Amino acid sequence: MRGAIWVRELRKSYGSHIVLKGLDFQIEKGEIFALLGVNGAGKTTALECIEGLRKYDSGAVTVNGKMGIQLQSSSLPAYIKPMEAVKLFAKWNRTKIDYAMLNGLGIKEIEKKQYIQLSTGQKRRLHLALALISNPDVIFLDEPTAGLDVEGRLSLHEQIRKLKSNGKTIVLASHDMAEVETLCDRIAILNNGNIVFCGTASELTDKVGRKYFIHIKTQRGDNTFETDNIEDTLISLLSELKQKKIHVLDIKVDRGTLEQHFIEMSRRKAE
Amino acid sequence: MNGFLFGIALQWKLDIRSKSLLVTCYIVPLIFFLLMGGIFTSVMPEMRSTLIQSMIVMSISMGAFIGLPPSLLQTYGSDIKKVYKANGVPLYLGLVTMFLSAFVHLMISCVIILLLAPILFEATLPVQLPFFFFALAIYIIVSLSIGSVLGLIVKNQAKLTMIAQLVFLPSIMLSGIMFPVGLLPDFLETIGRIFPASQGYRLMLDNGFCLENLWYLILVFCVAVIVCGILLNKQKSK
Repeated sequence: MRGAIWVRELRKSYGSHIVLKGLDFQIEKGEIFALLGVNGAGKTTALECIEGLRKYDSGAVTVNGKMGIQLQSSSLPAYIKPMEAVKLFAKWNRTKIDYAMLNGLGIKEIEKKQYIQLSTGQKRRLHLALALISNPDVIFLDEPTAGLDVEGRLSLHEQIRKLKSNGKTIVLASHDMAEVETLCDRIAILNNGNIVFCGTASELTDKVGRKYFIHIKTQRGDNTFETDNIEDTLISLLSELKQKKIHVLDIKVDRGTLEQHFIEMSRRKAE
Repeated sequence: MNGFLFGIALQWKLDIRSKSLLVTCYIVPLIFFLLMGGIFTSVMPEMRSTLIQSMIVMSISMGAFIGLPPSLLQTYGSDIKKVYKANGVPLYLGLVTMFLSAFVHLMISCVIILLLAPILFEATLPVQLPFFFFALAIYIIVSLSIGSVLGLIVKNQAKLTMIAQLVFLPSIMLSGIMFPVGLLPDFLETIGRIFPASQGYRLMLDNGFCLENLWYLILVFCVAVIVCGILLNKQKSK
């Protein structure tokens, strides 16, 4: 694999508020790379600096290849129709329209609607189609599945995987740990303007340890238990409840969220 | 060029669909024209000679000061502006397409007034139509340039509505289109001269095409272009 994007000492501040404190990373050609972070971590700013949509204070960004940028919803005029936007973007990029790609993303089905009438999923699909108009080498997706239902999310994941299989490099910003874990080759976690981790999802798990949260609802109320070993904890909790003759109404098991990983990483850093 | 022309045609359609420009460029000015045309010509029959010019000033002022700025705010005050950068097209393209689209809408509205006024109210047609259209084009361009500044400089819809009214109302009340400026107190007459509507009105009257009326409009346009350039450059450097 060859490098698709190089970011060196990228710094950006808004007034006295420093958003990016010198980011350093490289993205390889053909990989799906995620920038993860909670709201306000600086991932959209970082992405926009790399895309060239936002000026940065210092550092260097090199993108090797043509860029396609999926903008967030609300970045098109309310009354534009999908095919009008497609034609306009094609003319701006001096390129022919790839109708097969549009059909694949279901743009044909929504061509008569105006942008304001589209659902969140339809808007995301349209923005992805617009990002792909110029047949780019590197595709930037900012929270591509935010606000989508399960079906929409899975369908978009499928599209992203197809793009990867066609040799495209994909950079996405997200705060959904589960999404990037299943979709991305590597992730960079942004916290407070710094990259606190850069590597594969399994490397992250090795670093912080797998965390599970067991939520148990009984007649006496709700309780949450944190554990590294889901089976042992669940067995001991259930047997304890049985012994005390407490009736279990519901059980849910969650994996650790990004925020919980952050807390864990911050705690370890402090130690 | 192909993309540019497509952009203007698309913007023209979007303006009609959005209804805000449709209302401010056609519906309200034409209803005003039908009502006030009837009232003016029956109360003051001598207004037949200036009815077309006065109704056109009203129509242009409304479209340019109240219709155009919200469209610009929607684009340059939101993520829509990123579309230009993401596609490698200049940031001013949106302003230019919206400006030209609004120009066409206002020209159509003015032509409707020009055609209907003699039939409905026996209004006098301008003697020299080519000069009249030249003056009309100048006034539309100057008014839209002021509307462009408003749309780029004000970042809040509520404030924009208020400020647009502060430009629109004196333009209508103090420019001489509703009643002769000679009837106004001196200080209001002076304030009226600051607004380009009074110069535009005089320019469109057959005897008004002279440098005295032109220089101020040219000055206002040049200042507006510079201000728009600065404001867009500021957005670009963010």
